[in-house]
Amino acid sequence: MSDTSLPDALHEPMKRAVRLEYWNIFWTLTIIAVMGLVLGQSETMKTAWIEDTLGLVPPVMFLVAVHLERHAHRSRRFPFGFERVNGLGFFVAAVALTAVGALLLVNALMALGSREHATVGSIVLLGQDIWLGWLMIAAQIYSLIPPLFIGRRELPLAHALNDKLLHTDALMNKANWLTGAAGLAGIIGLGLGWWWADSVAAAIISIDVLNDGIKALRSSTAELVDGAPRALSGVALSEDAQKISDRLKAEFPGATIRLRETGRLIRAEVHDTHPPAECRHPRYYWPGRDDRAWRLAQVSFIPPTDE
Amino acid sequence: MKRAMKKKRDRLAGVALCCALLSACNALPRDPAGTSRLIEERRAFSVALVDPSLNASPQVVRLIKELEKRTQAHARWQAGTGEALLQRLDDGTLDLAIGHFRADSPWATQVAFAPALSISGRADAPMELKAAMRNGENRWIMTVERASRATSATARAQ
Repeated sequence: MSDTSLPDALHEPMKRAVRLEYWNIFWTLTIIAVMGLVLGQSETMKTAWIEDTLGLVPPVMFLVAVHLERHAHRSRRFPFGFERVNGLGFFVAAVALTAVGALLLVNALMALGSREHATVGSIVLLGQDIWLGWLMIAAQIYSLIPPLFIGRRELPLAHALNDKLLHTDALMNKANWLTGAAGLAGIIGLGLGWWWADSVAAAIISIDVLNDGIKALRSSTAELVDGAPRALSGVALSEDAQKISDRLKAEFPGATIRLRETGRLIRAEVHDTHPPAECRHPRYYWPGRDDRAWRLAQVSFIPPTDE
Repeated sequence: MKRAMKKKRDRLAGVALCCALLSACNALPRDPAGTSRLIEERRAFSVALVDPSLNASPQVVRLIKELEKRTQAHARWQAGTGEALLQRLDDGTLDLAIGHFRADSPWATQVAFAPALSISGRADAPMELKAAMRNGENRWIMTVERASRATSATARAQ
């Protein structure tokens, strides 16, 4: 067991994930810059730009959490290390997504309700007067490309590391084409003279942001209040946790099994039973493949109270 | 022989695609309230001066002539002054209002301004001579923006 919070088996995939997240931040910054240059008065563009800016939160939180997990040592003040920093980062990202998603949705609905007609004028580029909408469309298309590739590469790493923050980021990146398509439709609709297209597209994008935020919020709060481990991809109970529970129940019939998650690790409490006579490492109880056994970090026994 | 035919066909397809894209470029944007279409149908656009003393301004005259040339329509001068004109833009009963506006005019969210034809006044509170149009009428706004740039070096520099 390493002296830091990160299990030894995860150092290599973690290095790759960190490298990928730096690339993610770099490409996201280029998208923010490109979109920012052609924002105009369009609600769609403003919403998409804020969504892209929010896209920085998960990778930044991931890098902060990883830094603490890899480099901060257990101490008197933090005897359990920083295993839960990842969960805290996940919660912060979830709150940011939910709040901004709700705010953007209100803005879009208000613009729709007040029948706001967005003005998208022209600019001079290389001596030519060009409708800014064409540049917005080009920027939207550009903003679709990097997240697609990054999301695809993040997913297997998120599974290997059992990292919800990375997984949420991967899903957000992979689903980015949907918001990109809504954004493109909004600008094209605006160009076709459908004044409502801009606000409707902005509302669709903000609903997507809000949906991501609520899902992440439900999963992250479950961890923070010691709920049973949740699946990587949603709020359902984790399959690994279910198998561990079954395994412990088979080994200790009549015992009450309580599982919780601290970051990427699972901790089990076996109540109303005595520990086995021989000394066993927690990984002994891992029911799946050995290369994932690092997930089960602790199995504690609590004997019955009436003895 | 076949390869040459294929090359020729690819070239033709490329040219057709470029033509389609260029025509699409020209087709957008359109006006939600159809200002440009109505101007084309009526062969006239309505215009008013926020400040009546601008009547003889050479920049205003040049802009109107340029717009008449670009739209193949005549300017129909309307009476009225001040902010009531900007309200008429918003209501859709006026196509264009020209006047001196502060660079940080509070009307900037209510109407669309073209690039300034000239800038005067104090450096800390410059007054810009510019045209105002109804918000969201993007094709008409673009036409006025182009005309402003074509007739004013100040507008081109913005």
